[in-house]
Amino acid sequence: MQGGSSGIGYGLKYQARCISDVKADTDHTSFITGTLSLREENEVHLIRLSSGGTELICEGLFSHPNEIWDLSSCPFDQRIFSTVFSTGESYGAAIWQIPELYGQLNSPQLERIASLDAHVGKINCVLWWPSGRHDKLISIDDENLFLWSLDCSKKAAQVQSKESSGMLHYLSGGAWDPHDVNAVAATCESSVQFWDLRTMKKTSAIERAHIRNANYDMKKKHILVTAEDESGIHIWDLRKPKIPVKELPGHTHWTWAVTCNPEYDGLILSAGTDSTVNLWLAPISAGDEPNSEA
Amino acid sequence: MGTDDVPLDDKAKRMRDLLSSFYSPDPSSTPNAPSKHGTLDAINTTSFDPDQYMNLLVQKSNLEALLKRHVEMAAEIKNLDTDLQMLVYENYNKFISATDSIKRMKSNIVGMEANMGQLLDKIMSVQSRSDGVNTSLFEKREHIEKLHRTRNLLRKVQFIYDLPARLGKCIKSEAYADAVKFYTGAMPIFKAYGDSSFQDCKRASEDAVAIIVKNLQGKLFSDSESIQARAEAAVLLKQLDFPGKVSDLSPTTAHEASVREFAEAIRAYRIIFPDSGRQLITLAQDLVINHFETTEQYVKRRISSANLLGVLRTIWADVLLMDEVLHEAVLPDFSLEAAQGAVKKYVASTFTYLLQDISDVLLRVNVSPKEAAEEHPLQVALEASRKAVLQGSMDVLLDFCQFLDDDLGLLVKLRDFIIDWVQEGFQGFLSALDDRFLLLSGRKNSSSPDQGLTEGAHSEKVLAGLVLVLAQLSIFIEQTVIPRITEEIAASFSGGGARGIENGPAFVPGEICRIFRSAGEKLLHHYVNMRTQRVSALLRKRFSTPNWVKHKEPREVHMFVDLFLQELKAIGIEVKQILPQGLLRKHWRSDSNGSTTSSRSNPLRDDKMSRSNTQRARSQLLETHLAKLFKQKVEIFTKVEYTQESVVTTIVKLCLKSLQEFVRLQTFNRSGFQQIQLDIQFLRTPLKEIVEDEAVIDFLLDEVIVAASERCLDPTPLEPPILDRLIQAKLAKLKEQNPITP
Repeated sequence: MQGGSSGIGYGLKYQARCISDVKADTDHTSFITGTLSLREENEVHLIRLSSGGTELICEGLFSHPNEIWDLSSCPFDQRIFSTVFSTGESYGAAIWQIPELYGQLNSPQLERIASLDAHVGKINCVLWWPSGRHDKLISIDDENLFLWSLDCSKKAAQVQSKESSGMLHYLSGGAWDPHDVNAVAATCESSVQFWDLRTMKKTSAIERAHIRNANYDMKKKHILVTAEDESGIHIWDLRKPKIPVKELPGHTHWTWAVTCNPEYDGLILSAGTDSTVNLWLAPISAGDEPNSEA
Repeated sequence: MGTDDVPLDDKAKRMRDLLSSFYSPDPSSTPNAPSKHGTLDAINTTSFDPDQYMNLLVQKSNLEALLKRHVEMAAEIKNLDTDLQMLVYENYNKFISATDSIKRMKSNIVGMEANMGQLLDKIMSVQSRSDGVNTSLFEKREHIEKLHRTRNLLRKVQFIYDLPARLGKCIKSEAYADAVKFYTGAMPIFKAYGDSSFQDCKRASEDAVAIIVKNLQGKLFSDSESIQARAEAAVLLKQLDFPGKVSDLSPTTAHEASVREFAEAIRAYRIIFPDSGRQLITLAQDLVINHFETTEQYVKRRISSANLLGVLRTIWADVLLMDEVLHEAVLPDFSLEAAQGAVKKYVASTFTYLLQDISDVLLRVNVSPKEAAEEHPLQVALEASRKAVLQGSMDVLLDFCQFLDDDLGLLVKLRDFIIDWVQEGFQGFLSALDDRFLLLSGRKNSSSPDQGLTEGAHSEKVLAGLVLVLAQLSIFIEQTVIPRITEEIAASFSGGGARGIENGPAFVPGEICRIFRSAGEKLLHHYVNMRTQRVSALLRKRFSTPNWVKHKEPREVHMFVDLFLQELKAIGIEVKQILPQGLLRKHWRSDSNGSTTSSRSNPLRDDKMSRSNTQRARSQLLETHLAKLFKQKVEIFTKVEYTQESVVTTIVKLCLKSLQEFVRLQTFNRSGFQQIQLDIQFLRTPLKEIVEDEAVIDFLLDEVIVAASERCLDPTPLEPPILDRLIQAKLAKLKEQNPITP
């Protein structure tokens, strides 16, 4: 919001709740973001960092039918992404394809590859397997976990299996283990649950209240980072789910989102409702004090 | 307008009566119980008679009025239904979780009773069998024991009778060691019965012993015997003489005498055997080691310095005595080393006890609040723990001073060490205290994996109040205790230097101060977090439960507001007991009557809102953004100070921020938005009364309303008069519930 002298800014017309890096775009640093406005025309922006790294350029601007609550980019095709949207009363999720651009900004409509209509309920997020090409998708709502098989060429998505989380477990989101195609962590009110997608059964859980967001370390197996409402960021070794390996103070208000750097060990980025983004250096092996800068 | 107002008011009143009668346990306590029957108002009372009411209605009204009445009634019934539904809905969650836990309890308990019954039966049968065995063997055992006793007695008598003969035999075979052993063994009996039954035996034995003594003396002084044999003879002679000499002396003098005797024996021995120094040295050193081992055991118990000093003084006197005769043993140096260990252990154990005392005082906080709700349990706990820390530390210092003031040679030599140990001890003690604080507050559990399991369960039960006490206690230690200790140490325990200059002094007050300052901050934050989390849970329930898109028109301020204010009140009570008041006390608001007529701070309550098109919404959005830009930047997240106001303000700020974030996650219809508007408007006055910075509260509450309007499909606010009336109704209801507090 403040746009410090060293930062590069990019203005959206309305508020936005989500941003995703375009992993499949290996040539550029790109992001997709979508706006969250109840009563206005919502937009999806494709942003690219210029080659000099000095400014952010809008590569594409597309209108999106509803306000966007969650957005994530396909890890193997830079033109595909998923959104979770709401009309105010009901929720839906869809897979979109950005049409070929030929330089013009006044671009055509987004192409809807598939809509996950079979999933009714308050969808929280859609997950892609982060490590590469995989024809499965996961969508999570308050009570259910859906596994979809997606065929981009046929433009179809089908429910492969579905499981309810059981009474009194309101799922809020999740993360897909980059080291194991069959393991997913789902955050719920009082714990993080681990699911095996082959059996669609819970395998284990970390009992911890109010976890907002979780993210796997891309490099190291068994390492999960979680963000919690009031009590900051915790790093867990999943083989020892009782006690966190490390504790970071987090933000002055809720810590909303947390993500690990895919390249550099121990770099963790967190965002909080105190309107700050903190970058942490917290190597798990060494006992260094975590550093942070806003 | 006036004609509109009256029925609405009536309706609201009746609704309130209904709800309050639903909640109040005793129906007769409703404030406006009907005094007369036969009116149409009696519909809400317990004595309502439908036939009478119907008759009255038909008699009094014409058809049109009846029809109107019918429509009204149908509407009211519908309203009541929806209210009921809402109540059911809100209680449903609790109900589900309750059934869940009951189910779990049930499954755990099933089968337990049968097992317990079986267990009881088995225990009973085991018990009865063991009783049977006991009784059947009892007599035989008695008998055997009796026989055994008799046999022992007979043996002893036999021994005494045989003694003279045995001694004679020993003299013949020169087995003096055995003879002395037999004789000393029989001594107590001779002393008791020597004048009566065993007179003869005694005399005969004494004669024999006299011969033995003579023989031994001859042995001792004859040069032809071996050194070993002469030493043995000396020891045996001493054994024979010893009991007779010492028996009349008091215990302390007995000790002195024995040492003196020992010294004399050494002296004599050295004259006789000039070469046997090494053995004597080990003997003397063993004695000293023995002394100090006992001392170290003693130190483990809780003793004062005076006690320890007494012990050391005795030992030192002994050592000096022995040193005179046996200089080669370097006993003073040797005992210095041993004393060093003992005193060091004493210092360490004293600090351990002090730590234990303080945590005992703090743990009592957990128990007391329930029994002493009227008083100020936290304040009492704070005072007690303050005293425990300060007085405890001072007592310890005073105690150690006795070591330094004493002129005992041993301690004079240890002086530098003692100073270092005391300084080190305080350093270690205060760090341990800091650790203990964190442990007690339940914050430590995650960082120490070995305790994680036990502490994890414990941390759930930690009282927020205790955390606050600990926070304030940390500050007290930083600001009062450490300066006092530093002063005392500078006065009495300066110097030292046994550690070497390059290490610096052992007690570093600056470092300890820093530890406690950060501990205090951590604990205060922890308190704020614990309290905020409770409110957050409340808010989460409030916002995630209802379907906001289908919300009904707001009828009254929602009860989460009451719960929220109740939590804040509890926090206020805790904080008032522990923390000092801030210096800056804000002036009281003159118009704190809950009126909503002012519209200064709410950009939404403009008549622009009544224009209904997208243009309106857009311009309004732009407006709020612009307003945000031009508004003085309000710092929401400021540093928490150790004052009542600052802590409460921080908690309120965090809670309102959470409230805003919860609102941002929902989508509202018009009524939902209006409900939020009403609740927030009601919160304004009571929040400002407890918080030091009104501007921030206004800002945050406005933010909530802005967020709600952004998340609303049709953000039309409530008309100010309606808002005002609903708030006044709530205030009146509150007054009714507790007439004493305004």
